[in-house]
Amino acid sequence: MDNRSPIPDPRAPQVAEVQAPARPPQHEKYPWPEKTRLLGTRVSRIDGPLKVSGRAKYSYDIVRPGMIYGRILRSPHAHARLKSIDAAAAEKAPGVKAVLITIKPGDKVLFPGEEIGALAAATEQQAADALRMIKVEWEVLPALANVEQAMRPEAPQVFTPANTRKGTAQEDGDLTAGFKSAAFTVEGTYSTQVQTHTSLETHGCVCEWNGDNLTAWVSTQAVHGTREGFAQGLKIPQANVRVITEFMGGGFGSKFGPDMQGLLCARLAKAANAPVKLMLDRKEEHLTTGNRPSAFAKVKAGVSADGKLTAFDATTWGTGGAGAGSDYPLPYIYVFPNRRRMHTDVYINSGQQRAMRAPGHPQGCFVTEVLMDELADQVRMDPVEFRLKNLPPLAPNAMWAKYFPIGAERINWKSRHVTGDPTPGPIKRGLGCSANRWGGAGTGARAHCEIAGDGSVVMRCGTQDIGTGNRTIMAMVVAETLGLEVPQVTIELGDSNHPFAPGSGGSTTAAAVMPAMRVTAGKARDALFERIAPQLGVAAGDITIGVGTVSAGGKTITWRDACRMLGTVPVSVDGQWERGLSAGGTSGVQFAEVEVDIETGITKVKKIVCVQDCGLIVDLKTAETQCYGGIISGVNYAVFEERILDRNTANMVNPNMEWYHMAGQSDIPEIDVVLVDQPERGVIGIGEPPAVATAAAVANAIRNATGVTLRSIPITPDKLLTELERAGGTN
Amino acid sequence: MARKKRTHDESRRDFLRTIGAGAVVSASASLATPSDATAQQAVATLGPGEVPVTLTINGRRHQLSVEPRVTLLDAMRTRLEITGQKRVCDRGACGACTVIIEGRTYYSCSMLAIEAQGKNIRTVDGLANGNTLHPVQQAFCDNDGLMCGFCTPGFVMATVALLEKNPNPTPEQAKKALDGNLCRCGTNIGVLKAALAVKGGIRG
Amino acid sequence: MKAFTYVNAANEKEAIAALQSAERGRMLPMAGGMDLLGLMKDYIVSPERVVSIKGLDQTIAAGDGGLKIGAAVKIADLAEHAVARKMFPALVTAAEGVGTPQIRNMGTVGGNIMQRPRCWYFRNEEFNCLKKGGSRCFAVEGENQFHAIFGDGPCHIVHPSSLAVPVIAYGGRFRVAGPNGAREIDAGEFFQLPNANLYGENVLQPNEIITHVILPAPGQKSASYEVRFKQSHDWPLAAASVNLVMSGPTVKSARIVMGAVAPIPWRVPAAERVLAGKAITEAIATDAANAAVAGARPMSGNKYKIQIARTAVKRAILAAIRA
Repeated sequence: MDNRSPIPDPRAPQVAEVQAPARPPQHEKYPWPEKTRLLGTRVSRIDGPLKVSGRAKYSYDIVRPGMIYGRILRSPHAHARLKSIDAAAAEKAPGVKAVLITIKPGDKVLFPGEEIGALAAATEQQAADALRMIKVEWEVLPALANVEQAMRPEAPQVFTPANTRKGTAQEDGDLTAGFKSAAFTVEGTYSTQVQTHTSLETHGCVCEWNGDNLTAWVSTQAVHGTREGFAQGLKIPQANVRVITEFMGGGFGSKFGPDMQGLLCARLAKAANAPVKLMLDRKEEHLTTGNRPSAFAKVKAGVSADGKLTAFDATTWGTGGAGAGSDYPLPYIYVFPNRRRMHTDVYINSGQQRAMRAPGHPQGCFVTEVLMDELADQVRMDPVEFRLKNLPPLAPNAMWAKYFPIGAERINWKSRHVTGDPTPGPIKRGLGCSANRWGGAGTGARAHCEIAGDGSVVMRCGTQDIGTGNRTIMAMVVAETLGLEVPQVTIELGDSNHPFAPGSGGSTTAAAVMPAMRVTAGKARDALFERIAPQLGVAAGDITIGVGTVSAGGKTITWRDACRMLGTVPVSVDGQWERGLSAGGTSGVQFAEVEVDIETGITKVKKIVCVQDCGLIVDLKTAETQCYGGIISGVNYAVFEERILDRNTANMVNPNMEWYHMAGQSDIPEIDVVLVDQPERGVIGIGEPPAVATAAAVANAIRNATGVTLRSIPITPDKLLTELERAGGTN
Repeated sequence: MARKKRTHDESRRDFLRTIGAGAVVSASASLATPSDATAQQAVATLGPGEVPVTLTINGRRHQLSVEPRVTLLDAMRTRLEITGQKRVCDRGACGACTVIIEGRTYYSCSMLAIEAQGKNIRTVDGLANGNTLHPVQQAFCDNDGLMCGFCTPGFVMATVALLEKNPNPTPEQAKKALDGNLCRCGTNIGVLKAALAVKGGIRG
Repeated sequence: MKAFTYVNAANEKEAIAALQSAERGRMLPMAGGMDLLGLMKDYIVSPERVVSIKGLDQTIAAGDGGLKIGAAVKIADLAEHAVARKMFPALVTAAEGVGTPQIRNMGTVGGNIMQRPRCWYFRNEEFNCLKKGGSRCFAVEGENQFHAIFGDGPCHIVHPSSLAVPVIAYGGRFRVAGPNGAREIDAGEFFQLPNANLYGENVLQPNEIITHVILPAPGQKSASYEVRFKQSHDWPLAAASVNLVMSGPTVKSARIVMGAVAPIPWRVPAAERVLAGKAITEAIATDAANAAVAGARPMSGNKYKIQIARTAVKRAILAAIRA
């Protein structure tokens, strides 16, 4: 599978060892302004009107003249060998224009939904009917449906060379000494579930050939990366491929290339000599477009009598599906001076993992943070005090010591009872906390800026707006630089014909693109000054920008009048990302308040408090919304979502939005976000940081409410009631 | 438009809330007679091939030919290029396809096009007045009740229906009205703010 | 979904005439379509003919101290009906909890009663389960956290109708019409366990339809309590409806029915007997609740539902008495 998602190395050193400088070097020519006019304010999304009016066109909405519809033929089995395939009836079916079979007898499939062919027909109905006419015979083979099955010594060997891949142990310090100096130890096995991205717009594209040139409207997070993927997959020059994604309905890490469906779509379009739209349906989306791997951890940890962490020993495993990895950072954030960690990837017959919103971090955070509360209880310390005692040193990218007190105050942490709400009655309230870190450093975007004689400004960049508000912050930086208002700037993005920019993943886009905006707009401004200086009778260096004005030699003229001096030849400059305007490394904390009904096992998440930084905040409104979104994804991770496979056949039993539970409006907590501006650090991304710590905070709050320790998410009623019963009763 | 003639007792029926039953009857059929209920009756059937259908969407009539199995959502999106409402789950669970008919919300993915005749179907595409956004649309923009925007048309319609019926909802009432819509980006905070921000009622 | 011919039946007679086939699944009635279209899109059923029965009675009429509710009444209309709200709170609570606003606007009372199971093996084409003519119930050794805790199989679905539970609690009847005329069936006898009827969930023949739900006068106190995990849109983990005929402060007779715990709405006479003749306290409600789940036979993954069902019964009783 084409998996171009940037997965950060989970074995990257703990942040304690990589500290951000207090004030990184500033860009020499175009630094961020000391006093900002637009940056840091709340600006409404510039593409809001198009989205709320239904006029925004997503790949799913594109209609091309003569367009036909594609559908993919897939394996219904998790593990099987093809005996025969006969598409003759489909080829002759009404409306069918092209049929591709990509499997031959003897080939094996390794997960339900694996692609084995595709066809295109004039209508969706004809395509669906014809697909079902293809006769496929399988030899069904034993499938591995979960990690336990795959790890059994007697398990059938499904994967080569083995069903598991053991990593090398990472050790630091002296584990024996560490446990010796521990006054208390905690041992437990922790687990997190597989999540699917569940983007509302499914994967897919419209492909149209014009001779040897392919235009593809793709739901993707990376127009340039997808262009490269089409070129490689179809063995055609990149110059022949154009990928367009003006709007896309969510990716969360799963959409970085054409994938199988894109390549099949392009091939169908070539074979049918017609544009083909091939969008996955919801079931296909759940099965084959990626997931967050599960995580298991058998942990033993030690703490000294005075509350200092002394030792950490973890054996971990998880599954990323058929042949795919599952590693994650552990321990997470807190300083265990003596530690050992050994991870094994376990393969099962399910769709392969792809980066999903902060890959690895929610898993590592959950395991570590639940453990931290358990250790805090051993030494009878308040969980916040305990964390403050064991944090890495304070640094601009390690600000938890400052953030914990802020969050604690806002959630009224003082009202927290020790453990197990003593209030009579079935409703128990509890509070929990957790910490997160993330990178978010990006580089490499290029841009092209034009200023026309009528004063209009166009900035072109081959980046994407995947719902983050990128368009808007791009416009804000350009407007700030040119002394204009946001509506005066036209942003063109989402087209591989525009200058190269990296894909939108890893929360790197703001840091990759904003410097390119600043530099390119700055260069455009300077080019404007160069061009009009003679007419103004001044040196270019003596011209300054105001707000909608240009001043030189004691005279001030409007922006429009200044641009008019350009005549018919616009200013047209290229620029790119340069050092000194962005950074990496964020930190944050979250607190959760929950209400648990111990007679039913139902948890309601009532409130989340989040304290988060992201360097220089460009648009405060959209940055806050990013936090809301990340937090909601964390609530889902804590209590609702789970990809459930039938343990006997490995088929997913909930490939829909009815049983793949996600929070609806009445399930959403109150959310209080404190965004900490760090303008001296430059721009850093914020898409993933707020998604990391929520589930851990919720789990700790549930523990605080009920007095029972749950080491497995999602915390569904069955798990909670089982633990409550084990602890001695639910009434 | 043609409505099937009813030959039987109508007094006990209330048609006010019926979803369009004005299907075109194939010419050769005759209707069942009460006296011979067990015998094979000639029954007026449509399809399985395409049949003429008239859909009134945002006040405009559209004539098209679709098979009975085509949903209202798919007819709008694939035959009429009315793409505001989205196809996301196609099973009546996520609300991205929500339309308003006579003040009530429906999942257009779970209605047949042939059954959607005879009433005005309102979609997000018809809310704005030229370039002037509907107050609900404006509120979504102002309160950042959107991110990728794919769920937004559904949420906007659910909010419009809520406020047309209940101009000053409590947060609980607003949440219940929006419970039929899902968002993966997590815009619910802004959506609720938007729903509660529109004051002074809106015209239906 | 596969192609089909469509009939727009104007009324009961036309509907029955159009549903001429007695062969299961060949011709199916469609009310709101929420359930049927989903089943068809997943190829679980593929009727040749779909007969719209939106033309059935859509009125709610008072009569005989109770209500006669047309099968084509929208769930939203039932939930908003002033007389229903006053007289049959258990039914209205259940109606308000069905699905989402969009589902309640489209779905009908009859459609809710006639819904097919939500079991994810039933609804996934890849599993040829017992109910679909296959040889095994995949829930037995599979993922059964949402399956039945009562009933001896061989199929372990829970009946998905929220409305059926209070209808039985109120002693309701269904008026059913078919080619041989119309009859009324006690709602408590309408639903069938899998060992009596594997391929359907009730006594209706393929060419019969429910036309009305008839409710007699309710007891003085009644209520429903449903337990869901997601508050926004979810199927209940367990539900209970309680209908109490009072004699002053004591219960003269009780009808208690549980939902989402068995292949049919599950009436629990043992719990009813606990209440009879007593003034209800929290302790007595707890005793009744314990009696209600005493016969539970959980599967490997759903023992927790016993506690939830017990809580639903207890809280329904207390809600009824405090109303």
